[in-house]
Amino acid sequence: MFSNPTGVLTLSKREIVRFLTVATQTIFPPLISSVLFLFIFGVAIGSRIDFGSTGWTYLKFIVPGLMTMHAISSSYENTSSSLFIGRWHNHIQEVLLSPLSYFEMVLGLLTGGVVRGLLVSSGVFVVSLFFTVSSIAHPWLLFFFLFTISVIFACAGMLAALWAEDFNMLTLWNTYVIVPLVLLGGVFHPVEMLPIVLQQITKYNPMFYLVSGVRYSVTGVAEASLLISMGVAVSLALGMFYFTVFLFKIGYKLRT
Amino acid sequence: MMRDSRIAIKIDNVTKYYGALQALNQVSFQVQRGDFFAFLGPNGAGKTTTINVLTGLSNFQSGSIEVFGFDNRSDYLQARRLIGLCAQEFNFDPFLTVEQMLIYQAGYFGIPSDSAFDRCNELLKRFELINKRNVRHRALSGGMKKRLLLCRGLIHDPEILILDEPTAGCDLELKFMIWEYLTQLNQEGKTIFLTTHYMEEAEKLCRTIGILHQGRIERFGEKTQVLRDQSLEDVFLDATKQKEFSDV
Repeated sequence: MFSNPTGVLTLSKREIVRFLTVATQTIFPPLISSVLFLFIFGVAIGSRIDFGSTGWTYLKFIVPGLMTMHAISSSYENTSSSLFIGRWHNHIQEVLLSPLSYFEMVLGLLTGGVVRGLLVSSGVFVVSLFFTVSSIAHPWLLFFFLFTISVIFACAGMLAALWAEDFNMLTLWNTYVIVPLVLLGGVFHPVEMLPIVLQQITKYNPMFYLVSGVRYSVTGVAEASLLISMGVAVSLALGMFYFTVFLFKIGYKLRT
Repeated sequence: MMRDSRIAIKIDNVTKYYGALQALNQVSFQVQRGDFFAFLGPNGAGKTTTINVLTGLSNFQSGSIEVFGFDNRSDYLQARRLIGLCAQEFNFDPFLTVEQMLIYQAGYFGIPSDSAFDRCNELLKRFELINKRNVRHRALSGGMKKRLLLCRGLIHDPEILILDEPTAGCDLELKFMIWEYLTQLNQEGKTIFLTTHYMEEAEKLCRTIGILHQGRIERFGEKTQVLRDQSLEDVFLDATKQKEFSDV
């Protein structure tokens, strides 16, 4: 599986250093927007939302949702921008010419997205501590969900970067597919607050299971079955990963 | 790791299409180990396409390519280790410094960081870029970028160095520096595959010459065999059906 571990580590390092050197653009903006979300929706509006007998406050409810949302956007943005710029300037050839297997190329490129997703979502949890006292009910399960979510969307970012022909196309998937699915997946609202028909539709949205998995890991309370959430996370992560490897193998928009 | 083979590059009946356009038409030739090979042809003949299919940057529809006996599709990992490419265009990562670029490139080829730094220093000194190690490529002149391309292609000490018009746009001093270095590399046993539009460059440096025209090999052989008392320019114009221009 690994023919060139030094090569994979080098590519991973490059991807991680790339986003860390511009932390003001990659790490801090989601943390600042999380502070604003927590203040406006959690403190100002959320205090008026009644969760009945669940014992939750709205502030505690949205923290896992925000962690999920920013893990998704950070991992997606990292790989999509890195690979697209590589295609645009054609320095992706440095990687394509090297003795890295296609599996190793994808692994190296997605590492930056995964690390950024984990770092930003952890940061969101830390800033949430300034607003509400939280503990993590199941830390390893939280790591599992944030890791698989970051893998899924790091791969989605690479798929978008391969498909896009210009910078506008790069944002289309995010704007028209990912953001709506994530927001409708229960980041800011309990699904049971929706009308019955919308509740049924939400059950076909894979993001609902990912958000629910993270929420269970943090609070110990889930909206969907934990096993189904884990199954969706693992299936999507593996499926997206191997599909991306396949596209690298056939050279989709990489080789002429 | 390298198979015992006298043939560095074996291209056998390779055909390549871009959509309906046939870029390579059953191209076949071999480059011996340690040879200095000039691959000539007019613009659009298919030289860069040949380099791209050889290095794995382009797919091809039929035929086969071997690098020291390794098929470049089924044994692509071994084949790629043996090749260094100095591309025609400046395709650098705009966010990396000269040194970072070379160190990362060495790492992709499995070279540990200590050895990579040593090799990087050696090349930067050799190509007089050592004072530019911490700048990004946009701060380099055209000639410096050419030298950086060479450094990147050589960072893993490849057995075969492929150069796509390495001296295009270079001043005389840089041209001579590159010629001298390539000659030295070739004397050390490296196989050089050079495309150029400068006939005197091919004539001076190379032992074997191939001329490609409209995706077909029109001439191929040892320099003396190909020239037969003619100038390379005349042979080239004849092979590429441009003889009438030479009379103008």
